[in-house]
Amino acid sequence: MNDFFSKIVELFNTPEYIDSLLHGFWLTIQISYFAILIGILLGTVIALVGAAKPSKWLAIPKFICRFYTTVIRGTPMALQLFIMFFVIFAIKGFPSIITAILAFGLNSAAYTAEIIRGGILSVDKGQAEAGMALGLSRITIFIKIVAPQAIKNIIPALGNEVITVIKETAIVGMVGMYDLNMAAKDIGSGQNMASYIVPMFVAALFYLAIIYLITFAVKQVEKNLRKSDMKAEK
Amino acid sequence: MDSGTDLRIKNLYKSFGENKVLNGINFELKEGERVVILGPSGSGKSTFLRCINWIEEPTSGEIYLDGKLVTEKNIRKIRQSIGMVFQHFNLINNLTVMDNLILAPVKLKLMRRGEAEKRAQELLRHIGLLNKANSFPASLSGGQKQRVAIVRAMMLSPEVLLFDEPTSALDPESIGDVLSLIRELAERGMTFMIVTHEMNFAKEIATRIVFLDKGKIIEEGTPEEFFKHPKTPRVQEFLKKVL
Repeated sequence: MNDFFSKIVELFNTPEYIDSLLHGFWLTIQISYFAILIGILLGTVIALVGAAKPSKWLAIPKFICRFYTTVIRGTPMALQLFIMFFVIFAIKGFPSIITAILAFGLNSAAYTAEIIRGGILSVDKGQAEAGMALGLSRITIFIKIVAPQAIKNIIPALGNEVITVIKETAIVGMVGMYDLNMAAKDIGSGQNMASYIVPMFVAALFYLAIIYLITFAVKQVEKNLRKSDMKAEK
Repeated sequence: MDSGTDLRIKNLYKSFGENKVLNGINFELKEGERVVILGPSGSGKSTFLRCINWIEEPTSGEIYLDGKLVTEKNIRKIRQSIGMVFQHFNLINNLTVMDNLILAPVKLKLMRRGEAEKRAQELLRHIGLLNKANSFPASLSGGQKQRVAIVRAMMLSPEVLLFDEPTSALDPESIGDVLSLIRELAERGMTFMIVTHEMNFAKEIATRIVFLDKGKIIEEGTPEEFFKHPKTPRVQEFLKKVL
C-alpha cells in the first residue's frame, strides 16, 4: 500500500508522465468528440430515411441504410478500425486521427440511427394523426409534434451511446495511436515506472470523470425536456 | 341550388392487408344532419370515419365534399373543413392547451397569432377551462382533454365534425360534460357524424342512425324508426343486446 502511494507521488511529480497522460486524454477527447458529432449527424439522416413513409424513390436509400446499419452493428469495432487503417485509408502520411474519427463516427452513426429511429417510432401515432386531422403538412407535423416528443425518448439512450464511444476509443492503441489508455500503458512499462497499477488507476479516474460529467449533463437536459410531462404550469 | 355542406361517399373500400374492413359504403351527409354510426365492434365504424378525412387512405372509392373529389393533392385543404375528435383525445403532449388550439390556424395562416389567441380564449372561457390555457395536456383530466380537443377542432370553423367514440375513454362523470358540449354544438346547427356506444345519447341527438355490419351499411333511418321498428334481424338482435 505504501508502495502504491509512493508511486502516485512519483507519477504526479514527473512532468513527462503527466504530460503523456494529458496528451493521451486530449486525443481520446478529440476522437470521441468528432466521432460523436459525425455519429449524430449521419445517424439522424439514416434514421429519417428509415422512419420515412415508404415510397418509390426512397426504396433504394432505405435499403442502403438498412444494409449499412446491419453491417456496422454486425461486425466488431476493432475490425472496422483495422479496415479503415489498413485498407481504406492505407495512404502514407494520411493523418491517423482523421482515420480514427471516421472509423468511430461511422460506427456510432449506425447505433445512433437506431436510437433515433426507435425514438421517432415510439411517439404515439395519435399525435401525428391529430396533426393530420388539422390539415398540417407532414413537415410541420414532424417538426412541431413528433420530433420534440421523440427527443425526450432519444436523449437518455443517446447519452449512453456517447459514453460507449468514449470508452470504445481506448482500442486505438491497436493501430499505434497514443490515447489515454495507451498513455497509461506506456507510463507503466519497464523503461518508465515499471508498475502498471498507478498509471492505469489514474487513467481510469480520467475516464470516470469525463463520463460522470456527461451523465450529469444528460440528466439535466432530460429534466428540462420532461417539463411538459409533469403536472405543472408552463 | 343546394349551397349547404354536402358530403358524399361512393363505393368506399378499405382493407388492411388481407383484412377487408370496409366493403363498399355509399353514404351522404347534408348540412345540419347529425348522423350516429352504430354497429358491433369490428364492423368498421372508426375506420369509416378515419377514411373520410384520409387519416386512413381508402383502398378504393370516392369521397366528395361540396361536390369536390377528395384527392391526395387537396386532402390537406379538405381536412381544414372536416374537424375530428378522437377517442384518446390526441392533444399534442408537448404543447400547452393554448398552443394546441392555435397551432393549426396560425401554421396554416388562416388567422394571425393574436386573433387565434383571442378566439382560443373565448372558446376556453366558454368551456370553463380558460385557467388551463397555459397548462400542458398531462395536467388535465380526461373530460377536460376531450373538451379541449373538441374546441381545438372548432378553431378552424369546420363544416363537418367527426367524433370517433369521444366518450369511450372517459370516466362516467366526465362523459356528461363532453356529451353536453356535443349537445350544444348540435343545438347550434353543427353538422356531424359520431361513433358512440351511448345509446340514449344517440337517440336524443341523431337526425339519422346508420348501422354498420361487416363494413357495410345494412340499415339506416331516423332514431324513431331505427330503435322502435328495426327492419333487419341483425339490428333487432343488436338492439336486444344493448338496450
